[in-house]
Amino acid sequence: MRKDLVFGMAGSGGDGIVSAGDSLLQAAAAEGYHGVMTKSFGSQIRGGESSCRVRISTTPILNPGGNLDVAVALNWDDFLKFGAELPVSGNTVVIYEAATKILEADIPLVGVTPLQVIAVPIAEMAKATAGTERAKNTVVLGLIAGWFGIGAVAVMKGIRKKLAKKGEELVDANQRAFDAGRAFAMEHPLKVSMNVAASATKGQVKLITDGNDMCAAAAIFAGCRFFGGYPITPSTEVMQFFTDHVWKYNGAVLQAEDEIAGIGAAVGASFAGTKAMTATSGPGLSLKSEMMGLASIAELPLVIVDVQRGGPSTGLPTKTEQSDLFAAAFSAHGDVIRPVLAPTSVADTFRITIEAFNIAEYYQTPVIVLSDQEIASRKETLDPIDTSQFKIINRVVPTGTDLVDYKRFKQTDNHISPISHPGMLGGTYLASGIEHVESGAPTNSGSVHQRMNDKRTKKFDPLKERKDLFEVTGNPDAPIAILAWGSVAGVCREALEMAQAEGINVKLMVPYLLYPVAEGIYNEFFRSVQRGLIVEQTHLAQTFKLLRMHIDLPKGVQSLARSGANPFLPTDIVEALHRLLSELQRSHEGQLQPQE
Amino acid sequence: MSATCEYQAKDYKSDLKPIWCPGCGDFSVVQGIYRALAAIGRPPHEIAFVSGIGCSSRIPGYTTAYGFNSVHGRSLPIAQGIKLANPDLLVLAAGGDGDGFSIGGGHIAHLIRRNMDITYIVMDNQIYGLTKGQLSPTSQKGRTTCTSRYGSLEEPVNPLLYVLAYGAGFVAQASPTDLAGMAATIEEAIRYPGFAFVNIQSPCVTYGEEAQQIKGLKAISENLTALGHNPADRLAAMDLAQHYGQKLHLGVFYRNPEPAPTYDGLVRERQALLSKDAPPAENILDLFIKK
Amino acid sequence: MTTRGIDYASLSLKDALDLAVLIEEEAQERYEDFAAQMEQHRTPEAATFFRLMAQNEAKHGEELAARRSSLFGTEPKAVTREMIYDIEAPDFDAARAFMSPRQAMKAALASEVKAHAFFVAALPALKDAGVKALFEELRDEEVHHTNLVTAELAKLPPDSGLSDEDFVDEPAAQ
Repeated sequence: MRKDLVFGMAGSGGDGIVSAGDSLLQAAAAEGYHGVMTKSFGSQIRGGESSCRVRISTTPILNPGGNLDVAVALNWDDFLKFGAELPVSGNTVVIYEAATKILEADIPLVGVTPLQVIAVPIAEMAKATAGTERAKNTVVLGLIAGWFGIGAVAVMKGIRKKLAKKGEELVDANQRAFDAGRAFAMEHPLKVSMNVAASATKGQVKLITDGNDMCAAAAIFAGCRFFGGYPITPSTEVMQFFTDHVWKYNGAVLQAEDEIAGIGAAVGASFAGTKAMTATSGPGLSLKSEMMGLASIAELPLVIVDVQRGGPSTGLPTKTEQSDLFAAAFSAHGDVIRPVLAPTSVADTFRITIEAFNIAEYYQTPVIVLSDQEIASRKETLDPIDTSQFKIINRVVPTGTDLVDYKRFKQTDNHISPISHPGMLGGTYLASGIEHVESGAPTNSGSVHQRMNDKRTKKFDPLKERKDLFEVTGNPDAPIAILAWGSVAGVCREALEMAQAEGINVKLMVPYLLYPVAEGIYNEFFRSVQRGLIVEQTHLAQTFKLLRMHIDLPKGVQSLARSGANPFLPTDIVEALHRLLSELQRSHEGQLQPQE
Repeated sequence: MSATCEYQAKDYKSDLKPIWCPGCGDFSVVQGIYRALAAIGRPPHEIAFVSGIGCSSRIPGYTTAYGFNSVHGRSLPIAQGIKLANPDLLVLAAGGDGDGFSIGGGHIAHLIRRNMDITYIVMDNQIYGLTKGQLSPTSQKGRTTCTSRYGSLEEPVNPLLYVLAYGAGFVAQASPTDLAGMAATIEEAIRYPGFAFVNIQSPCVTYGEEAQQIKGLKAISENLTALGHNPADRLAAMDLAQHYGQKLHLGVFYRNPEPAPTYDGLVRERQALLSKDAPPAENILDLFIKK
Repeated sequence: MTTRGIDYASLSLKDALDLAVLIEEEAQERYEDFAAQMEQHRTPEAATFFRLMAQNEAKHGEELAARRSSLFGTEPKAVTREMIYDIEAPDFDAARAFMSPRQAMKAALASEVKAHAFFVAALPALKDAGVKALFEELRDEEVHHTNLVTAELAKLPPDSGLSDEDFVDEPAAQ
């Protein structure tokens, strides 16, 4: 019995492949499995190629997985368009639509011989049982239940619930299609059984959600009561979740006329004393940068979620990348420190988003949550989260003596000044983008500018000591290291386990705080390191360069960077580690050999 | 509204010294605002006054209200965020013609269709003063400035017609030729329950043309009440507004006799409706439970 | 120069005195405002002159207020500041950067002339004899002030005839 299976399915939008993936994930959750589902699309709004990847496991999942165990191609043109996003290996069972008229020996996968290839008359079975070819996805779910033992009961239970309102006839048609798929699988057993073991947590409550919904829910949990934004893929669902729920908590949403107005309204709401946020993707981040500068100099708390996609410009709007790192750290003019945090999964998006609000409120600053398309749109099953462990921090407001001759930007020991808001008697002041003295009155004095820049940058010093915003796993004294953030971190976590199982002495750092760069924490991590990999989905190795800008990385630390939509597999990382290991061994041998 | 009458104009004047050139029309506008606020009587700390960038956008700092001198062209989005976060506040926005009708021109239409209870005062001087006299969106065609040595090639924006066309519920014009009238107009704008727009012809003494100084303005000004204009008549208002640039009509062009519901009011209604029986925010993750 | 809602025919002496006080108050405030603008813009001579004008207006205002109070005590006012605008106060744009004392005086002179015109224009409509007498008195005072300022002007050395704009710095872009 296997503990883990990775499905990859592709077809055209009309094939309902993503909807099948959803059903599979929900059924897996109902049966107690851990699951992760990612989606990837072509550029058409309807009817373009679409794919999903569902990984199901009896143990917690670190990433969407590497090579597929099961590949489902409803047509080969669409499947092949996803390239490295749906990698087939010698251990993959390939299931495809027989109506493609391609012989099993002739499938268009170059340079690989799958474990088994099965042509299934999926469309024909759908037509025969449900009366429409559109039921192909239900047939596929039946095949999966039959061959891999997942969802035999739960899939139809889910479909029944989903379609109950639409009538018995539709439900029955789906049931017949599902049964036909399952019967086909039973009649054609796999050469090697690939059934997944039953989950030990069957019957326990599971949560299912994606990164965008999780981010919005975390914001509401953290006390955010205002969202100003503009639709942009792949971040729009954050705003949608807000419009569904925030009114219940006396909050409001403004779908603004543009990206600038969206963040502007959030800046206004924050000035008025309300926790506020906006969400966007690359092009929107560029438009918002002037307002981010304003929030920094006016010292107003604000959270900006940037769900990264391939860039620059429109780039790859439906695919993931990490290339907004420089923009997140450095956009906006002037000398500014603006904290940047990055979640690595749907689950930790909850914690990181709350952290972003806490940092924004405590330090009175805009904070960027640097999510990415993969985390934002992937669905994960989660065990219930104990929310009582999360502390909520609110901005410090002036009281009593602070309000006698109140100075909004008063110099204090920790450089943080109590902040009033309209409605508060005694707290009136002028907020401004222009440089100001402690009272808020405008100035163009160089010495005040120097002092205020000191205040606005030094206040972040304690943030750079926050070890809890860095995850270090593996042997702390290991000579080999991996560093990765965001959705790439999960791949590296799995690679670490694989490398450790091989006996490689390696450690992994996952920073949740990307900016300001915590020099001390990195220096400590790299002290033992002779060889290392900075793994990232950026073409220019932005993370590697950002770190080199701030710290002296050991010479043997290298960049492993590639453009977005070219995902890393855990095996890619392990291969690179092998290379580092042999380099390390050679250099040791070199040191041992006497020089001639 | 906790309207009281115990405030005087001077209670709204701050200690900051204006950076405006001597004789600037904006000195009159700030006086007009002090008087209007005193007439309304809201305490300064219940007022949020937002501006963009430009000479006139310095104005919030010269009042004792909560001020926000923000970035160029963006006073209106910020004002809307403030109003939605706390609808009890009296929210004012102000700026120049460039701030409002060039860089920030896209925002006005959307604020108008949302009809938030915000009063927007534009100090219209047909020039960019802070950057030393460039062409502005309301500069006359043919005007010579340092960015139009051989004369402007474009027609000016007509601010009055612009906001009337988008459906603003309250549209008025004022000028320093009549401070009491200006104060009364601003007061009426603030009292109007919804978006209100006041265009103030505020001469630039440094870069403005002679015809746009007070003497010139007096020569072309006409009081709308004296003309017998009915401010409930939107089409008549649009007809009069067409003379922007040639005539200076002072007073209320249009006041919707049946003010539409405001966005901020509707938000409150929605909050009241949906917050009843809402599960606590601490349990928000329950939404994701799959049984 | 604007008025609204003043019915000259029915103007009582109390109202007329109150109106006169308001006119002086308005002028005083405007001159103070101008003085502050001049101080802010490094033009101390003009600032000093405008302060002096503010003090004069204040003095006249106080004298008129004293007369009002001796005649009518604390009877409530029937006229408001909203009824008058720019009667004796110089126009808002009469101030200019780097005003010479001569230019400042000319601005003041123009407002005295303006005030004089106001009283002259109002006289024919007045019915009450006491009010008429007051307005005539105020009209004549404006003539007196005009003469005083003209005399002061004459004492000043003549302007060079050169434009200030040829000497001062250009405005600074912000």
